[in-house]
Amino acid sequence: MSTATLEKPAAAKPKVILAEGNEAAALGVALARPDMVAVYPITPQSSLVEHVAKLIADGKMDADIVDAEGEHSVLSVLQGAALAGGRTYTATCGPGLAFMFEPYFRTSGMRLPMVMTIVTRDGITPQSVWGGHQDAMTVREVGWIQIYCESVQEVLDTTIMAFKIAEHHDVMLPVNVCLDGNYLSYGASRVELPPQAEVDAFMGDKDVNWHVALDPSRPMAVDPLTGGSGGKGPSTFVRYRKGQCKGMQNALAVIEEVHEEWAQRFGRRFAPLVEEYRLDDADYAIMTLGSMSGAAKDAVDAARDAGRKVGLIKLKTFSPFPVVALQKALAKVKALGVVDRSVGFRWNCGPMYQETMGALYRLGRFIPSMSFIGGLAGADITEAHFQRVIAETEALLTNPAPTEPVWLNEKD
Amino acid sequence: MPNTKYLVVGSSHAALEAVQAIRMHDSEGSLTLLTRDSHLPYSPTVLPYVVSGRSAPNAVALRDDAYFTQHKVDFVRGKAVKSLHADRNAVELDDGSEIAYERLLLATGASPAIPPIEGIGSVSYHVLRTLDDATKLNAAMKQAKQAVVMGAGLVGMHAAENLVKAGVPVTIVEMAKQLTDGYFDATAAGLIEKAFTDNGAKILTGSRVVKLAPSSLGATLTLDSGATLEADLLLVATGVRANIGFLNGSGALVAHDRGILVDETMQTSAANVWAAGDVAQAKGFFSEDKVMNAILPDAAEQGRIAGQAMVGDPGLRRYPGGIPLNTYHFFGRHAISVGSSKVPEGGEVFTRFDEASGRYLKAIFLDGRLRGIYGVNEFFDGGVMCQLILRGTDLTPVKERFLAEPMKVGRELMSKLWR
Amino acid sequence: MSAYATIAFDAAKCDGCGKCMSACSIQKVGADDTARSRIQIGGSADAGFELALCRQCGDPRCVAVCPAGALSKDGASGVIGWDATKCVDCLLCTVGCAYAGIALDAEAGHVAKCDMCAGAPACVPACPTGALRHVTTARIYNEVGHWEDLFAPGLAGCQGCNTELLMRHTLRRAGPDTVLATPPGCVPGMGSVGFNGTTGTKVPVFHPLLTNTAAMLAGIKRQYERKGREVLAMAIAGDGGASDVGFQSLSGAAERNERIFFMVVDNEGYMNTGMQRSSCTPYGAWTSTTPVGVGKGPAGMPSQGKTQDAKNLPLIMVNHRCEYVATASTAYMEDLYDKLDKAIAASKRGFAYLHVYSPCTTGWRFPTDQNMEVARKAVETNFVTLWEYTPQEGLSFTRRIDQPLPVTEYLKAMGRFRHLSNDQISHIQSKVVENLAFVKQLAQVAKV
Repeated sequence: MSTATLEKPAAAKPKVILAEGNEAAALGVALARPDMVAVYPITPQSSLVEHVAKLIADGKMDADIVDAEGEHSVLSVLQGAALAGGRTYTATCGPGLAFMFEPYFRTSGMRLPMVMTIVTRDGITPQSVWGGHQDAMTVREVGWIQIYCESVQEVLDTTIMAFKIAEHHDVMLPVNVCLDGNYLSYGASRVELPPQAEVDAFMGDKDVNWHVALDPSRPMAVDPLTGGSGGKGPSTFVRYRKGQCKGMQNALAVIEEVHEEWAQRFGRRFAPLVEEYRLDDADYAIMTLGSMSGAAKDAVDAARDAGRKVGLIKLKTFSPFPVVALQKALAKVKALGVVDRSVGFRWNCGPMYQETMGALYRLGRFIPSMSFIGGLAGADITEAHFQRVIAETEALLTNPAPTEPVWLNEKD
Repeated sequence: MPNTKYLVVGSSHAALEAVQAIRMHDSEGSLTLLTRDSHLPYSPTVLPYVVSGRSAPNAVALRDDAYFTQHKVDFVRGKAVKSLHADRNAVELDDGSEIAYERLLLATGASPAIPPIEGIGSVSYHVLRTLDDATKLNAAMKQAKQAVVMGAGLVGMHAAENLVKAGVPVTIVEMAKQLTDGYFDATAAGLIEKAFTDNGAKILTGSRVVKLAPSSLGATLTLDSGATLEADLLLVATGVRANIGFLNGSGALVAHDRGILVDETMQTSAANVWAAGDVAQAKGFFSEDKVMNAILPDAAEQGRIAGQAMVGDPGLRRYPGGIPLNTYHFFGRHAISVGSSKVPEGGEVFTRFDEASGRYLKAIFLDGRLRGIYGVNEFFDGGVMCQLILRGTDLTPVKERFLAEPMKVGRELMSKLWR
Repeated sequence: MSAYATIAFDAAKCDGCGKCMSACSIQKVGADDTARSRIQIGGSADAGFELALCRQCGDPRCVAVCPAGALSKDGASGVIGWDATKCVDCLLCTVGCAYAGIALDAEAGHVAKCDMCAGAPACVPACPTGALRHVTTARIYNEVGHWEDLFAPGLAGCQGCNTELLMRHTLRRAGPDTVLATPPGCVPGMGSVGFNGTTGTKVPVFHPLLTNTAAMLAGIKRQYERKGREVLAMAIAGDGGASDVGFQSLSGAAERNERIFFMVVDNEGYMNTGMQRSSCTPYGAWTSTTPVGVGKGPAGMPSQGKTQDAKNLPLIMVNHRCEYVATASTAYMEDLYDKLDKAIAASKRGFAYLHVYSPCTTGWRFPTDQNMEVARKAVETNFVTLWEYTPQEGLSFTRRIDQPLPVTEYLKAMGRFRHLSNDQISHIQSKVVENLAFVKQLAQVAKV
């Protein structure tokens, strides 16, 4: 299981520690030097904000921390701080994300470049406190950039990069760094800590409210009423919305640039949008998102060893959906199996599968495909599960595609 | 030619109120206040007190230079208007210079009317209209041995009282059958006359001076009765005449009668020209006829209206018409008259007279509404009475009480009607 | 231009006792001789009492008609002064004055008039019924009249609404180093944040969500504190958002003692969106969601307006032990200004909360010229109480009404209570008594 390719050693020798994903996220936040962190605890995010609070309490992080009375206020406090020029951070998941939906929608509309980790958790009900992508997937239409991490190291690195992506003047959108609840949040592994000075150099100057500010030294009315059916309203509203979409599309290139710069500075290269794994000579591919990709790659390796021409496509950036990069990968295969850790209720399939179908349509070539749903509510997706995924995807080369999704953990 | 947006000629109550009204609405437009007098503005009404010595000549100014500086008023003294050229919006001064205006207020007041008596040019006499007149009369009074006052209007009466109090034997000669004719009725005049005679003045009512000649003392006056009087101090106080001589050039443009005829906003018949105060002839309150109502409160009211009209103040209220208002303080007693002294057809008159105390009240009503009220030593609020007249308040329900206690009932009505 | 203190007379409260006249004459002529008092009370119990007193007019006729320059209006105090050395006793001033405000003092032989006793009128404290009041509200204008109105002209409030007045006064007091939150409601409805690129406010202003005003302000304030900049973070919010859906963030910010100033303009409902009920709507009140009809309402009671009592939000805020909590009314501007000062000062140390009772001309259904009167009646009946609280001083009344009018005097002033039954009125009156007793208990506790 390796997601980063070591290109060159960093200038200063990095500090190496053993950390869980939540701690790695907290350390990444500290390195990015936000002005304000607002927190409200929720499983499985709690240890993340506890780490942040401890870092601040220990003087290892210079930020104001607001223990708000709920996620709704968490995001609202941060909106205020961002409008006053602060770099801002929080983390949440599941019900907490649902509770903050009202300000969540608004953050992207106001183009506030904050970073929020979603320690992903399945949706309730059924009552559950374990991982799954249902929370993040449910809010995929709200204008936040959403990036999924595969490893603890990627969590740390991506958390830092997320600030730079969000604050890029061509983007100015909030970013969710999604790290899988349970598997990544509590999974400990070796992590390299980049030196603060180099992170500072990477981050550059902070300039988060040049476009919209609540600052008596440059008074403006923030978010006046617009829209409606007459006068300047409709056009104004459309231009705001179109600008959000433009920022989202701009983010595709910016995410790539930032990852490239990260690789140059720190020697760790992560596929920014879409990772192609053993795909070049593959007949068919399986597609993954987040931490499941490790087990999936192991399964692909084993299948390759057995002579089967399978490859893997891993999405890192889910939103904006990297249509072009994905098409480039899809063009290489004749069948596709997509594994989701959440459901799309409307289409009876996984959400990533559904989105991928859109990208496939634009490819102009029919590829048989099917949807796998696994890892809900903390369930493991093991190599054995992926062996099944590989087998059933391979069958698409000869058999008609099933219309029903495959529920991987149904009989576990 | 210097020009000014607002030119106000005159410097007494009408002019000063106009200046104030203009500056309430236009704090910047150029404003010139021009007077032939050489002093700071003062009121002719205060002059008897300058004569008596009660008011120091240097303490009667109604405005000081600081006021004019603060209000950006160019105050020009000692220059009189010789001619008005209303056709070209300019006035010509006695020094030959001209001032162009955009809007002009004529508040030139009045001057003593000198009766055409034989020999009047051969004797020296005093008048009392300016501060200089007053200081001269004050000085003369200190040396006088025998004084005669011609005219028993308020100016003459005030001066006569001053002379009495200064120990100068004084005789008042009045054509009319009573003193203060036109201000107070015969009963009130009788009270006034008694106060004067009790203090040693001689009163000759119904008498006319027909001839004046110099004498060793000063002047010999011959009356229509044939009797003669000697005087070393002669005061002519037989009324006033509006100062309109400068109209000669614009006589056709600026309609005038005894004074300059004005409408309800004090505008004259000429464009850009208004008039107010003793020089103006405006409608009376009791009839549409234009009358001379040469009294101080009316001058102030007219001046204010004119100023508002000149400056385009939307708060302008039209002139309701002049109501005579007079107060007269004599030998420690007070007489107040408000409204018309004439009893109209169908009118009612009420009088109450207590000879012992000298308290006298007279009220005139028409259709239950007050037309005029007079009192001697009977104090009521003149301003309240004036409002009752202006508002045409029907006093029928309270008339008995009103007549018994005009001050108390007047205040009650005030509280209900315009509190 | 200055504004001035004045003596106000409420004829309805005068019983003609004459103590004001005694006090005046003692003060001015050294003898209890009411005839020589410069304030004169006339009339009778039957006809009503009235006042003759100098109004200290702005454009005084007495001054205009004085030939001697003896009367003049003092620019600083506004008092029309009389100069004995210049007066010639002509009495023309008495003819000029339409208010019998200057009259002859026959014994002295000259006119006399009120001179406001150098700013402390002797008559006012002598009045046992409160008919005379020394109204010094003008000081507000003198102090702040030259400060910039930080709202633009042309805010579009309903006719007769007092909230625009309140907003302008408040922001003028707050000053330009302010970030203003105006959550959805009447205030942004007037255009505070604006529409399509125009704005009504000259300081940074925004719509928070209805739900998150206090939280957003906390973030703003803390970020400026982090930068070392002194910025006032304040809200002008409605009662609905504050007491209902926004209560959590309000309570949270108060508990954290965030250094913000939160003003609630309580018009007792969601007036901007069509007059729906909020938890601050009082019992019995008609609203568009507590209508009056023949059908059954909650708990089987007839639909006769709201069936629950109002939530007392300011008292709830007291229980957060905020740095400052107060109630105010636009009918008592001096009191309001004092509280604005204190709230703004307190917001530098912690959470400051000011609850302003604000009658709604449109939603409460009363004539547009009656807003101040309705606001005053609410206080005079003890329907609302004016008080302030600090953790150090506890709670104290700032305007105690010891002889309240019956609550019907308030209820009948508006249409939203028109339908009330006697039972409902009794309920409201008993709640007034109960609420007052409760606040009094808190005030007593504070004194222990």
